[in-house]
Amino acid sequence: MLAQVELPGANCGACGYRTCGALAAELDNKPDLIERCLPRLAKAAEPVVKAAPDQACHSENFDVRQGAKSTWRDSLNREFDFYLEHFPEDPGPKEIIIPHNPMLTRELEISVGDLMLGRPLGMSCGCPITHCGVVVEVDRRTGVIVWCVTGPLGPRNKGFKDIGYYIAEGYEGLITDARVDINIGQRYFFQPRRCMLQWRHSGLVNYINRSKDGLQVRLEGLWIG
Amino acid sequence: MTIYFDNSATSPVDPRVAEAMALWHAKAFGNPSSLHSLGRAARESVETARERVAALIGAKPKEIVFVASGTEADNLALAGAVAASPPHRDGVIVSAIEHPAVLETAKALQGRGASLTLAPVDADGLADPDWFRRHVNATTRIVSLMAANNVIGTVQPIAEVAAIAREAGALFHTDAVQAVGRLPIDVGAAPIDLLSISAHKFYGPKGVGALFVREGVDLAPIVHGGGQERGLRSATENVAGIVGFGLAAELAREEGAADNVRLVALRERLINGVFAACPQAYLIGHRGRRLPGHVALGFSGQEGEAIRLMLALDEEGIAVSTGSACSASHAAEPSYVLRALGFDAFRARGAVRLTLGRFNTEEQVDQVVAVLPGLVGGLRRIATARS
Repeated sequence: MLAQVELPGANCGACGYRTCGALAAELDNKPDLIERCLPRLAKAAEPVVKAAPDQACHSENFDVRQGAKSTWRDSLNREFDFYLEHFPEDPGPKEIIIPHNPMLTRELEISVGDLMLGRPLGMSCGCPITHCGVVVEVDRRTGVIVWCVTGPLGPRNKGFKDIGYYIAEGYEGLITDARVDINIGQRYFFQPRRCMLQWRHSGLVNYINRSKDGLQVRLEGLWIG
Repeated sequence: MTIYFDNSATSPVDPRVAEAMALWHAKAFGNPSSLHSLGRAARESVETARERVAALIGAKPKEIVFVASGTEADNLALAGAVAASPPHRDGVIVSAIEHPAVLETAKALQGRGASLTLAPVDADGLADPDWFRRHVNATTRIVSLMAANNVIGTVQPIAEVAAIAREAGALFHTDAVQAVGRLPIDVGAAPIDLLSISAHKFYGPKGVGALFVREGVDLAPIVHGGGQERGLRSATENVAGIVGFGLAAELAREEGAADNVRLVALRERLINGVFAACPQAYLIGHRGRRLPGHVALGFSGQEGEAIRLMLALDEEGIAVSTGSACSASHAAEPSYVLRALGFDAFRARGAVRLTLGRFNTEEQVDQVVAVLPGLVGGLRRIATARS
């Protein structure tokens, strides 16, 4: 047991325990509780986390992927700024898409869990590869679908709905490795980690969220190259 | 019946306090400066209250100056200290997350020639004493660091920073409006020179506050007149308010510890309940070093909807706030406090503050935990990211 003399003896209750002795008795099992001792904070010259007011959204604050150093160049030798990873709990990269004919979402009765095929035609992204994936959200009013791009194995085994061409409106994913600071409102070149062609994309970051896994971002205004 | 979870904005007046004040509203109307019996009775009640407020923070009664609000106390502390400063000390250092009562006063002083420096905080809102060691020097007149932040609840290392200021020959002020009555504050244990208090934050009345001015500290008044409050705050005293303030202080001294034990239990129940029901919820501010009843939450992907959430909760009869009540009229602006913590402009819009108090119950917490997920789930999401 942490000796009671190490606690201030204020018996102030701010830790959630009626007396310093009661807190001390809990510290063996729950040492983190010491952080709740606010009078101790007030009296002790404890070091606090170094101030870093402008860095919370900067990539260098997050765990950087270990391993081979990136050259930050795509398969066509073009530079990019970061890799976009998919969320660990998702089966694949998350895309927000809309069929070229949004009515298809209703006509095909697209539902969460459906397996689909389609190709991101045109200026939204321009990838020549047909994609396969599983639907995770549907908005039947607008036709917008959120899906996770997986691979052809599922559709082959279980059947699928074909939406033909679609527009890729946005990506969501994680940044764990970047060579620049990531700021909301800026356009970047990035490399989707699972892009079959390993072509760089570009997009505008309009959402950033710090998490233990990395920077969660949303990108819209997508182009290849 | 409204569930009131906005105790950091203001707290309900304790019925015992209201009862004590009633007499002074109704019959005992004397001016404490008068020499007749009504006046002497009023003076006696004011001095009793002074003793009670002083006892709450370990001060001498003569070190308590009654004012009309925490804001006025902050103004008097900073402007009064600078006005009485020797010419070579023109530096004012305040943290970037101070209440506007401090920040705006500091900016006004800058406009009159003072040198203003804003101290940064880390991602939990904690100030770094080492930063102050590097920046407080022989030109610094006053350092101001709030004891606990009104928006995020983080409790600051004020004793350590106060010692740094003292070593450099500067004054140390703390805006303890959120802390006094909720945390043990002992000005005898730390070299705090000036400390602001507001009665309505701990079950006392609005319209009355106090500034602790350590004996020997040179301060110039900002309100001039009849010389009340040792010449530091001229104006006839708000006797009923001061009586209520005194009793609220006494109750805090006697019951504060028990209140805190209960509030921490409620706080943890609320945090754990919300986290279990809303996976996208995240806590803002330091997890442990926070005010006993203070919960500041964000909902990942829905930060832009904080106002909508507050309104939805209000429709359910649950009173919470976004950011601080004082900035509610500027709700469209990202919170400068969260920006100082490193939040981007989007996320800085997203804090929802639920602050518990003496009169909240476990049943109320459970009711909020039951209602909140449905309301959050109904909000538009900009992204599907999680905390």
